[in-house]
Amino acid sequence: MAVHQTERGLSKKGLSAGSVGLLGAIVIGISCIAPAYTMTAALGPTVSEVGLQVPAIILVGFIPMLLVAFGYRELNRAMPDSGTSFTWATRAFGPWIGWMTGWGLIAATILVLSNLAGIAVDFFYLMLAQIFGNPDIANLALNPVINVVTCLAFMAAATAISYRDMQTTQKVQYVLVGFQLIVLLLFGIVAFYQVANGSAFDPVPVSLEWFNPFAVQSFSAFAAGLSLSIFIFWGWDVTLTMNEETKGSRSTPGRAATLTVLIIVVLYLLIATASISFAGIGTGEFGLGNEDIQGNVFFALAGPVLGPLAILVSIAVLSSSAASLQSTFVSPARTLLAMGHYGALPERFSRISPRFLTPGFATIVSSVVASAFYAIMRFVSEDVLWDTITALGMMICFYYGLTAFAAVWYFRKQLFVSVRNFFFQLLFPLVGGIILAVLFYTTITESMDPEYGSGSNIGGVGLVFILGMAVIVSGIVLMIIQAIRRPAFFRGETLERGASNGRDDEELDELPV
Amino acid sequence: MRYIVGYTDTPSGEDALNLAVRLARSMQRGLDIVIVLRSEARATLVPVDAGYEKYLHEAAEEWLHRALTLVPNDMDAKGHIVYAESFAQGLLDTSRDLEGRMIIVGAARGGLLGRFTIGSVANSLLHSAVVPVALAPQGSVAEVGLEGISRITVAVGTRSGAKELVDAGILAARASRVPLRLVSLVALDADGVDTPPRVRAQAEEHAAKTVAYVAEHLPDDIDVTVLTASGSRVEDAVAALEWDPGEVVFVGSSRLAQPRQLFLGTTAAKMLRELPVPMVVVPRDSILTVED
Repeated sequence: MAVHQTERGLSKKGLSAGSVGLLGAIVIGISCIAPAYTMTAALGPTVSEVGLQVPAIILVGFIPMLLVAFGYRELNRAMPDSGTSFTWATRAFGPWIGWMTGWGLIAATILVLSNLAGIAVDFFYLMLAQIFGNPDIANLALNPVINVVTCLAFMAAATAISYRDMQTTQKVQYVLVGFQLIVLLLFGIVAFYQVANGSAFDPVPVSLEWFNPFAVQSFSAFAAGLSLSIFIFWGWDVTLTMNEETKGSRSTPGRAATLTVLIIVVLYLLIATASISFAGIGTGEFGLGNEDIQGNVFFALAGPVLGPLAILVSIAVLSSSAASLQSTFVSPARTLLAMGHYGALPERFSRISPRFLTPGFATIVSSVVASAFYAIMRFVSEDVLWDTITALGMMICFYYGLTAFAAVWYFRKQLFVSVRNFFFQLLFPLVGGIILAVLFYTTITESMDPEYGSGSNIGGVGLVFILGMAVIVSGIVLMIIQAIRRPAFFRGETLERGASNGRDDEELDELPV
Repeated sequence: MRYIVGYTDTPSGEDALNLAVRLARSMQRGLDIVIVLRSEARATLVPVDAGYEKYLHEAAEEWLHRALTLVPNDMDAKGHIVYAESFAQGLLDTSRDLEGRMIIVGAARGGLLGRFTIGSVANSLLHSAVVPVALAPQGSVAEVGLEGISRITVAVGTRSGAKELVDAGILAARASRVPLRLVSLVALDADGVDTPPRVRAQAEEHAAKTVAYVAEHLPDDIDVTVLTASGSRVEDAVAALEWDPGEVVFVGSSRLAQPRQLFLGTTAAKMLRELPVPMVVVPRDSILTVED
């Protein structure tokens, strides 16, 4: 414990050095990625884009994420700030682009919050059905009114937990993450066993071609798949930025990030190949090409694969969604907080609850918006989960790409000072940013097609496109309103543009991967 | 010789600060105003974000500055930002490190009509503090302002072992130059219709003993009254008494507590529910912490 007196210079942070060990860092990383939730939400949409080549897309999709995460880490080290992407983009490119970057981050996290809660609702009723042995209960999730009400209840609970900053103990986290991994492994192994046994739904032998990204039929399918696979690794970057706080040697964060991503990639590949091998990509009852199950694959497959043990999948997805709900809530709230603090949003967003030490107002606003968004979407589209995931991939490309470019531009004076700077501050984020920009552009243009994604459309225009545009346009409108009401931020008075000072940073750690 | 205030930027924190100012002024002490932030040692689902920690720290500084403006200029007060796993732990650590002589916190909000409810913070403090813990009831600022203490009431149980508590009361009353009132609380039978003479006799005997004890040590310089309050329940006995808004009640910690530690006994816990004035829980056998 440290005591600081306000009379003297305050230390920047009262971090008791080294509290998160290697295992702890991996657990947090896996918990943030929430593989059980991510796979059930993203597998179907990805299959619909790239067919059998899902494993290839998973392997390739990791690359832009990794490249941008390097830039993210550099920025986080140079300018630690609760506003992350918003603050960095403002510092690099000025208030307007910075505002939109913050908006992109908030929109992406709001989208994922509503999707998470939606998945949790499905599995909640599935679990009840499994407990009481009555399959009709699972269908309650299909009733939009029951579905929305349950979802709102979940959101309210998650908000309360977030607002009061209730945390589970480390032991509980370890158990939950361990359980999640074991269940996913079990799912994969049993699916393969059934394929070998001939009892699978539509057995397809695994082929090397599944791992070949060039076998994807078209570039647009490739791009769409890639933007989805970016979503599946989203959250991994936190292990990379858990820099100085980790216990042990300086290489701990790097090793934690490497091990986390290895575990995740192996797990994803196992689940993807096992599911495709078990169910095929046809449009039959359990086929991954069946539009009715694509938004939530495990919901449909858990029973056929695991039989009486299917309830384990429900528990794993539920606990994974709950943990992810809690960790995801933090991002939009902190970004809103920073925007309030720098005058980009009304001042009350910057308030911290003195009792719970959380961004209280910002947390509640995020929750209300995510709930409203889900409620509206549930009535507009039957494939709400699927469409939000696709729109989410687009928004991640948008703000994460801007963040990558912000890194390159902010460090412009020192890019060639050292080999390290050249790679981590210029090459990696630049390439990552360009990939994301291309993905964003392709998704936007392709998604105008009413047949895109789930095929939901309004007036002949793809719903995903409408979603993406609505998010961006409403962001611009809100930004202009803020610019009129609170011009100080937009004149650069509260957060100045700047660049790194051109000196090489000597506190480096090794290549994490 | 300083007092530790557990401060939050909330009405309950203000109650605590207000009581602390009054106590410190009466007894000529300095104040250490403490804001506790969470140390990252606790387990979280979300990795610690240095940027947010920095922001929190700045916010805490602002809260401290605001708190310091509430303290009269002639008083010696310092602000501290402390990192600990919990609010109570932070206060206990600070009181140990700074050798604080008393910890002052606000009672949880939500009690009826300004009465006390024990919050989780006060509760954990009462279970482990080795110095007296003062609990400020809700909204006392409005009633008494920043005036010093007007009287000290010591609530003595019917059991033995109250000498230290009485001594603490005497010393505090002397230090703050206010009258002392000794109250022996007697809970009679639940129906309360017929007060068994034996109980009444016992209570009176106890009160007499206390008077005798005080008379022995009776300081000439303070004004002491002794009285017995009775009711069918402890709460009724408390409610039957007349309370001065400016006074402070001293109660002893339970005999269940380990030596030198606080634990709120059942009688004190019941009193707390009815008390309209601040309460100071004094650990048994640690009289020196009140006055050296």
